[in-house]
Amino acid sequence: MGYVPLGMVFGFLFVQAGAPWWLALTASVLVFAGASQFMMVPMLAAGMPVAAIALATLVVNLRHVFYGLSLLDKLPAKPWARWYLVFALTDETYSVLTTLPAGTSTRQMVTVALLNQGWWVLGTLLGAVIGSQAQIGLAGLDFALAALFAVLAVEQWRSADSAAPLWVAIVSYAIAWVLMPQQALLIAIALSVLTGLFWPTTNSQKVTP
Amino acid sequence: MIDTRYALGVLVAMALVTFGLRALPFLAARFLQSHPLVQRLGRFLPLAIMTLLLLHTLVGSASDNPSGPWAELAAIATVVALQWWRRQPLLSILAGTALYVLLRNTTLMA
Repeated sequence: MGYVPLGMVFGFLFVQAGAPWWLALTASVLVFAGASQFMMVPMLAAGMPVAAIALATLVVNLRHVFYGLSLLDKLPAKPWARWYLVFALTDETYSVLTTLPAGTSTRQMVTVALLNQGWWVLGTLLGAVIGSQAQIGLAGLDFALAALFAVLAVEQWRSADSAAPLWVAIVSYAIAWVLMPQQALLIAIALSVLTGLFWPTTNSQKVTP
Repeated sequence: MIDTRYALGVLVAMALVTFGLRALPFLAARFLQSHPLVQRLGRFLPLAIMTLLLLHTLVGSASDNPSGPWAELAAIATVVALQWWRRQPLLSILAGTALYVLLRNTTLMA
């Protein structure tokens, strides 16, 4: 239920950037990945190449690979239910699924995901309709994306074994910024991946998302 | 005005990338689980990448803001503190965004 307001901000921003309402709706039905949908709005409005937007989506949603890894045995075996849940594996769906007790029925799991997507799509529609009524010059609504990243970072931080990845990321970004401000994000990601490959692991065996 | 065919192309590409990422573990579980490097990255990368995305977005908004990075810093500190304390994503995001919109639209007029 919580994602109605965020969906509204997305629908509103996308329509204000020049998209028709149904395109906003299509994004939430087809893509269903909050952070990357927010990120895409200014890129699409600037007419950036499809490949660049796809690459940015890859980076923003990379964490979802690790969500699936920790849910391998938990998702139902029925193909349609399984693949819909895989499609709908957002941060929100993931965090609800991990708190469900073992033996939760397929129907309940699918309902959780359908409700999540339903609220997101409904919010998008409302926001898009409001956004297409009037051009409202409210600077700063796109800060929702930074806030969403901050929330996700705090949650990853809480579930991480150590805060090292956070510090490595900050140092990487500082180095990348000095080297090439235009490509700071990609360079910093490369630096962090390299560091992560060689970082000594703690001995816990769990796969932390 | 956004070109419809281009926009649909973008959305389809995003949908494929996102679904591919979410489906990968279910298609290549044995490979991914047997590789220590994958496990290692799985512990390290999510927090590192999220921190980078946050930094990058903040640097982006701060450089668009003529009155300096203070609004960004205040709003993001609010989000982090709220999320750490209450753990309600929606509350943190809406409060932080509302504060930011307020700061941006009042400092511009001053």
